[in-house]
Amino acid sequence: MKHTSLTRRGLLGSAAAGAATLAMPTVLRAQPSEYIIGASLPLTGPFATAGQLIAPALSLFESMVNGEGGIDGTNIRFVVEDSGYVPANALANYQRLLASEGSNLVAYYGDSTGFMQLVGPELKGDQARMMTSTSFATELANPETHPYQFMSGPTYADQFDILLQDIAAKGGKTVAFIHSNTEFGTDPIAHGQARAAELGIEVVLIESTKAQGADIPTHVTKLAQANPDYCILQGYVTGVWPQLIGGARQFGLQTKFMGTFWGMEKLIADRVTAEAGPFLEGYQGVMPYRYSYDMEDAPRLQQISEISKVALAGTPLENYMPTWGIQAFASLELLTIALRRAAEAGKDLSVADNVAEQVAGIQDVDLGGYYGTNISMENNKVGVGRVYEYSAETNLFTPTSDWLTA
Amino acid sequence: MINGNLKATYAADERINNNAYKTAFVWGFAALAALFPFVANDYLILIACQYGIMVVAVVGVNVLTGYTGLISLGHGGFVAIGAYGVTIIHAGLTALSVPAGLQPFIAIPAAMALAAGIGLLVGLPSLRVKGVYLAVATLSASFIIIFLIELDALAPFTGGKNGLTTADPSFFGWVLDTQREVYALIAACAFATVLLVQNLFRTRVGRAFIAIRERDYSAEILGVSLLRYKLTSFAISAACCGLAGALFAYFYARVLPEQFELLLSLQLVAALVVGGMGRTMGPVFGALVIVLAPEFLKLTLGALMGSTVEAAQIRAPLQEIFFGALIIGFIMFEPLGIAQISDRVFRALNRWPFARG
Repeated sequence: MKHTSLTRRGLLGSAAAGAATLAMPTVLRAQPSEYIIGASLPLTGPFATAGQLIAPALSLFESMVNGEGGIDGTNIRFVVEDSGYVPANALANYQRLLASEGSNLVAYYGDSTGFMQLVGPELKGDQARMMTSTSFATELANPETHPYQFMSGPTYADQFDILLQDIAAKGGKTVAFIHSNTEFGTDPIAHGQARAAELGIEVVLIESTKAQGADIPTHVTKLAQANPDYCILQGYVTGVWPQLIGGARQFGLQTKFMGTFWGMEKLIADRVTAEAGPFLEGYQGVMPYRYSYDMEDAPRLQQISEISKVALAGTPLENYMPTWGIQAFASLELLTIALRRAAEAGKDLSVADNVAEQVAGIQDVDLGGYYGTNISMENNKVGVGRVYEYSAETNLFTPTSDWLTA
Repeated sequence: MINGNLKATYAADERINNNAYKTAFVWGFAALAALFPFVANDYLILIACQYGIMVVAVVGVNVLTGYTGLISLGHGGFVAIGAYGVTIIHAGLTALSVPAGLQPFIAIPAAMALAAGIGLLVGLPSLRVKGVYLAVATLSASFIIIFLIELDALAPFTGGKNGLTTADPSFFGWVLDTQREVYALIAACAFATVLLVQNLFRTRVGRAFIAIRERDYSAEILGVSLLRYKLTSFAISAACCGLAGALFAYFYARVLPEQFELLLSLQLVAALVVGGMGRTMGPVFGALVIVLAPEFLKLTLGALMGSTVEAAQIRAPLQEIFFGALIIGFIMFEPLGIAQISDRVFRALNRWPFARG
């Protein structure tokens, strides 16, 4: 019998050859075992409430997409990290994920205008992935300067445009803009002035305040002096309604108040109404999406409602998905359409140009009811919205206009 | 009592503190930093650059707080001056058709000088107030700096709340347009700043700072001009932070006012306290904790709890709690900072096997 000896060197050599053989399919494989979509959310810090409300939407969306076969048969997985609402932290989260996941990472969901501004110039070559975010900053809706970033609604300037169109249609003659002294607050003011002039509406007051409700009574006095038909509030998430609108009502002002996307959350309006009284009755604002309870002819919203009842049972989101969650759903839905189309075309999804091309190609699409109309992507944004009005009695926002395009 | 080594000369005596292990550590650290960009991925480069920028800024705080004994909670403002200064000066030099390859050589010193000038101004109250009062005065100064940057009237220069897009520096035609290339600049500046500031404290000026820290009126009786040296300390400290700001602007594609608010000033002070006040290596160690600990916590908790959305919701506050506990732990159990711990380690190595600690 022939004697065969197993030396350590021989064993190591065989092991290396075996490992190389096993690794071969991985090297040759074009498609990863799962696609990673990264996200930075403000799970702590000043906007933790928003982050913690958006997070479940990502989880539900992941199960919905994977239930439908993922992207070209490959499942997606979200990797979420906290940013604390600090842009540099979100940038570190993105680059950490890029380093650990490489080409498995196909898209990213950002949490602020600051992050999108900071990361934008870094998105070059293999460092670039397609991104969407919570921001509607006007600056971002520009494919030339921000080719790999898009938004699923109208910019803040567009939202002002839609509100001013609605004011003109309802016969409003004068308007005031009250905004926070943040980038978010000042974003649409110049455009709003120009658009109001075009529509023949006089801007009688432009007032800048702190983002939180300090020092509000002086602003109410100025508003009372200007006494406009309408007043648009911009750049507030919470905080100023009781002081500003409540204060104006105590003055006996008949001014109608309006807001933009981040001032249109039902959960907050309900809480303010419960704590401070029904002064939000008649408050209006622009929303790019339908509210989650407006489910007629909206198969996606019905689906979200069904799975929320199970997955989010016992939480405040069991029967209502906040507008911030709906924004995440709509943005990710658009992203998924682009990723699926790119995958069907046999393109590499980790190349941002391939996905950006498909995002730009989304035209006249029915997204399943997030919007009340078919939508198209133009200049990396969806420029439609509708005006809603809050009822302190029913605690619901109901539409008062048709879908308007900016 | 120190034992195990016979000290026959003063040089040998000095080696208790400046021993071969320390020297090897410093040069090893430098060698690692030089090799780093050839092996690290982009994420590690990002973290290393954040670390380098933080080291330069904390060295600045160390000059003022660690060596001169003047507490400042407003140094984030000086970093902002450096970042905005270098960006605006760059734009101005481009408008004046100054060759791009020379611009950083003018812009960086000019931004540092600007920060130093503002530092002199902010330092004026230090002649009348000390301790917590000075901390509040400097804090207010940083609020004023951020307020001015955000002011609409200055927005044509500063970009207001939208910030400014920064330029890629070019050194004699070598354009640092990737994070990896800017790393070289940051590493060189960090190393140079630490060494230069260490040497500052071998000079008359540095010793005057230390004299003021120990007892300011005694220093004045000994002939140290408080006006001159307190303001000099503020200027040098602000210039270091200005350099950190300039590096910040070159590294990130955009400067935004929110990046330089209170959080940054507090991080600088926390890094110094954790690292060791009035010690050369204090900023080096402290910045390591402030920059790396949150990343390490993210990676560790991510590995332990998974990366699902639900896990992330629980992990996020836990990370903050652990980080806070870590800082409290340092202050409670080693108020002299990591520099003191490292001293003990190197001393023990030097005396091994005869004694520990």
